[in-house]
Amino acid sequence: MFEFIITYLGFLKHIPFLPSIADALIRLKTFIFNPEVITYTDEIERTVLSWKGTSLKSHKYGGIQFDVNKKEIGHIHSNGLLDVLLKREVKEQLIKEGRVKDHHTFQKSGWTSFYIQNENDKKYAIELLEYSYLLKY
Amino acid sequence: MKVQKLLTGIIVANVFAMTLIGFTKWIIAQRSLEMIGGIFVFSDFVIVPALMGIIAAYFWRDLNLSGGKYTLYAVYNAVAAVAGAYLFLDEGYICLIIISPLLMGFTIAGTFIGKVMFRRNRNTLNVSILSLLFVIITVDSLTTNVSESMVSDTIVIHAPPEKVWQYVVAYEPNNAKEDYWLFQIGMPSPVQSTADAYCEGAGRKCIFSNGYVFEEKMVVFQPGKNLTFDVTDQPKDPEIMGHIDILRGQFLLKDNGDGTTTLTGNSWYRLYVFPAWYFNTWAASITRNVHLRVMEHIKILSEKNV
Repeated sequence: MFEFIITYLGFLKHIPFLPSIADALIRLKTFIFNPEVITYTDEIERTVLSWKGTSLKSHKYGGIQFDVNKKEIGHIHSNGLLDVLLKREVKEQLIKEGRVKDHHTFQKSGWTSFYIQNENDKKYAIELLEYSYLLKY
Repeated sequence: MKVQKLLTGIIVANVFAMTLIGFTKWIIAQRSLEMIGGIFVFSDFVIVPALMGIIAAYFWRDLNLSGGKYTLYAVYNAVAAVAGAYLFLDEGYICLIIISPLLMGFTIAGTFIGKVMFRRNRNTLNVSILSLLFVIITVDSLTTNVSESMVSDTIVIHAPPEKVWQYVVAYEPNNAKEDYWLFQIGMPSPVQSTADAYCEGAGRKCIFSNGYVFEEKMVVFQPGKNLTFDVTDQPKDPEIMGHIDILRGQFLLKDNGDGTTTLTGNSWYRLYVFPAWYFNTWAASITRNVHLRVMEHIKILSEKNV
């Protein structure tokens, strides 16, 4: 569903406030059908914010964004989709290994997408964010 | 203590919202606009619920709530707002169904914006953001006007234009089963149309399932081609009818030359509720289904005994 919206209705993100309300309603759906994803996101948030120099803000298209020294290292949408910035060669290697996906919008960049659905995904998401953090810190 | 803070957040947020909506209505009243009761500016359904979320998050900031709990309590906050709209703004249940996703979405979004804002404990920035939102609400109330749109639908009828025409002007009651979900849950649907006379300037009535009557005047009357009518009087219902005016309707008939007719139904309407991109989606859907119910009925009547 989310991928369909991104692929075919991505242009709607330019309508003021629509991404925020869409993300909020996705959060509600996640809360009802996959509440554990919100718990994983909370745990990731706690972990990342324990790293020196990190801060949290609302992502412009909904969800939460992690910054270090005012530079974004990644963000998590309310359906548990983590977008994280890696080096391109690292991203390509991880895609080959089948662990992550190309970013849903910026394919020709280091941006990488990863769905957080279980405990192992949560740990891997933290690893990805840590990698990005060390690049920027 | 925790319950007290949770409830305080919800109560303060809702009282604040009602006060703010009263404030926007007062500003609109100063501008002497008609239909004040039905006008809801962009801020009422966007910034006010977002502020409700932010205010609630302020009271909940020390409770160390999980993301799930924030979501749940934001839903409670939005449900309280919907109940408030029912009790104090005299909104009907269909209107509440329509506004609920918007209220729910922006209240949840505001709650999480507030959660991030108050975690950082940057009071100057937070006051600046809230002040900016308040300025936006004031400016929005002073500048927002009405929004006008048009919906067009077309069907092909297997009957010549002269046969279709007699049912376009007036038609007998439509008793077919409702197939649009809003009609099924009680929104009035068009049932019958009557004409005082078959000529330009004559009166026409469109009667709805709950007995409401839209009074119309035929301003273009070209048999077999074009019937255009202005809506001269319509019911002011606490449901969505208080928030939308149907201005004009039109049926265009095109002879396809093979014994069939292309019937086009057009409606022009004015919205008093904002954001237009959200409410226009609903208004267009409702208008389209009004068209289709009337046009399908005309099709069945016209194709009978051809």
